[in-house]
Amino acid sequence: MKNINLKTLTSLFSILVLSYTIKAQSYNTLWIPDTLRGTNFNLALKDTFAQIVTTGNQTITGGINGKIWGPTLFFNKGDSVHFNVHNYLNDSTTIHWHGMHLPAVMDGGPHQVIPPGTIWKPYWKVTNNAATYWYHPHLHEMTEKQITSGLGGLIIVRDNVESALALPRKYSVDDIPLVLTDRKFTSLNQFSIAPYGDSMLVNGTLRAQYNVPAQVVRFRILNGAIERSYNIGFSDNRNFSVITSDGGLLNAPVSVNRYILHAGERIEILVSFVGQLGQSYDLKAFNTALTNSIAGGETFTTGPFGSFLNHKDFTMLHVNVVAQTSSPILTIPSTLTTNTLLSAGSAVITRSLTISDSTGVTNPVILGPNAFVLNHKLFNINYINYTVPLNNTEIWQITSSSGFGHPFHIHDVEFNILSVNGVAPTAAQAGWKDVVFIPAKTGPTNSVVKFIAKFDDFADATHPFMFHCHIALHEDEGMMGQFVVTSTNTAIGINEKTKDPKDFFLYPNPANDKLYISFVDPSMVAYYIRITNSVGKTIYMLPRPELSNGLDISSLSSGIYFIQLTDEKTKLTTTKKFIKE
Amino acid sequence: MKLLKKISILSLSILLISNYFIINGYSIKKNNIEIKNFSLKNTDGKYISLTDFKDAKGFIIVFTCNHCPFAKLYPTRFNELNSKYKPLGIPLIAISSTDTIMYEEDTYSKMVSKALNEKFNFPYLFDVEQLVAKNFNAQKTPHAFVIWKENEKWVIKYSGAIDDNGAEPKKVQIHFVGDAVSALLNKKPVEISETKSIGCQIYFRK
Repeated sequence: MKNINLKTLTSLFSILVLSYTIKAQSYNTLWIPDTLRGTNFNLALKDTFAQIVTTGNQTITGGINGKIWGPTLFFNKGDSVHFNVHNYLNDSTTIHWHGMHLPAVMDGGPHQVIPPGTIWKPYWKVTNNAATYWYHPHLHEMTEKQITSGLGGLIIVRDNVESALALPRKYSVDDIPLVLTDRKFTSLNQFSIAPYGDSMLVNGTLRAQYNVPAQVVRFRILNGAIERSYNIGFSDNRNFSVITSDGGLLNAPVSVNRYILHAGERIEILVSFVGQLGQSYDLKAFNTALTNSIAGGETFTTGPFGSFLNHKDFTMLHVNVVAQTSSPILTIPSTLTTNTLLSAGSAVITRSLTISDSTGVTNPVILGPNAFVLNHKLFNINYINYTVPLNNTEIWQITSSSGFGHPFHIHDVEFNILSVNGVAPTAAQAGWKDVVFIPAKTGPTNSVVKFIAKFDDFADATHPFMFHCHIALHEDEGMMGQFVVTSTNTAIGINEKTKDPKDFFLYPNPANDKLYISFVDPSMVAYYIRITNSVGKTIYMLPRPELSNGLDISSLSSGIYFIQLTDEKTKLTTTKKFIKE
Repeated sequence: MKLLKKISILSLSILLISNYFIINGYSIKKNNIEIKNFSLKNTDGKYISLTDFKDAKGFIIVFTCNHCPFAKLYPTRFNELNSKYKPLGIPLIAISSTDTIMYEEDTYSKMVSKALNEKFNFPYLFDVEQLVAKNFNAQKTPHAFVIWKENEKWVIKYSGAIDDNGAEPKKVQIHFVGDAVSALLNKKPVEISETKSIGCQIYFRK
């Protein structure tokens, strides 16, 4: 028996050696996500598989309209975008529109759960500035698993300011999306659920390479990793120009040769390959420069946080410079836009938050000393941490006693960093942001980060927005809180509380293609409609549906359905039955 | 210190478990499962039980389904396995145990059409209450088991993936199920008795 096991071990070992040899051999062409444009978008989330490792079994993945990751969505500022998000996964999920300013009920946080087999139909008017955003699952305690599977996608917003600039914007030619992640593979080529991987993936491609024209090239870079930060630079130590922070253009390009991008953050950079035809360079992560308090700077290679990429310099993308395209961009503009940043003096309140390890958190008892918490509390989905009055301008001051750095993300708003440990942000961070890195404490001294944001446009006393650490593992473990934005107009008044749920009628019933809803009180507004079938499966989730043209039920199979309607004002729910012919 | 102690206990238990592996060739968990007979509806409308196969030496039991993209890759290989091993006394039985509230594609009527359209030469059973999948502790679709008769009881000899390449059958290097059955027919121990099944998670309603 022992011999047999030795044999098995030997063969496993030779497979390992073999795969390592293959790994060292060749580059794969960088995969570029497809694009979706317009104002109506269909996203189908599926369990599927992809050939990520060159040889051997396929990797089970989560794909949106494809085999891994999802299409890049192009929005124009000012457009109203409408979605059909079909969840064909085995699991419930959510899709959060990271960085988008929108109503909380459309936000896709942990409260907007899409059960399997359900279509969720959020919509909103795009008010964000031109920049690169993204969408990804945000189901509490499932975020790490579902992001690891590959679910997510990029959003590119265009606006008049950005469109007027001479910038590269030929998608996949001189305007190239780069989604940085790393993954661990099992011996069967499957993704391990782990904070750190041993293999770098760019757009889901291992050992990626790409041809870039000998001109100015724009890279839109997202750190889509579970935990790791990437200290971005080029193999020849060249300078590159950062042109955006998370949520918009900077005032002017900022020339640097390194930029540390933390989980959830995006930057767009311009790189000049003019006169470099025939040359090859590497886009690298210079992570030996990271201390052990920045994700990926740890030196260990074993244990739950061990990885062969930890504290290493490694190649992310190999680029080969090829011939220029027609009408190339050859120079980097000297200015981009004029941001009117929020001034500290305009804030009406300073909220003090803390980050600490979970020692001493006893209710509920948790985790051990290595987990991290906000405000000494684990996330509780029924607890609202803050109520923010609509149109408030607020300073959020985050004091961290943690020995580890955390990328802090807030929904709803783009903010301006005021200071990090008393120092104003660098030029490359002095724009609109939705993730800010909270450094670890220095010796006994806690670190303090302040940012300022205005909470305008969307008030909703029921559905909250989230704030959390964007390290998916920390977030799943409970390093998250939530706030509601309320206006006096939408809050439930004391006198209104006792009101009966508003009544409505469905017609025609039975219905065929369209189902119309008639309210007894014409001022009534539907906050939420959920359509379920006779066995209780949710078919549609319709936040704030537009009802004037009726509900399209043409794709339902015939049978009995239930429509649960939640009233905007009272938030009371009434259920009615209808028959689809 | 406390931590050290925990680690040493942990590594000791790992050592013990791996010893068990070496001695028995399959894990304690599998060993503890008592495979109960079942009676499930086939796509031809008839009910099928393990006891219907009086001369069977063993079975290849595959938990699979209609909807899962990874399961869709395997029916041809199921036909091949059944053609090869049924005459030798090891028939293949496929069972669908997924939640049909979640997946309309996995409902009985659609199983019937799939079995007809893809010319299944093996029974495709509807585990409507998910009890058989629970008994086997089936995790994914597809998840294969090779069970063998020992002292009038059915014992799991292999659990896991069918082979090591889903989408490219020609590039398969290790036929886990085929190798297990061949070994058992030759009265030899199963070399690789457990792998991870790869595919869509089977969710249990209760």
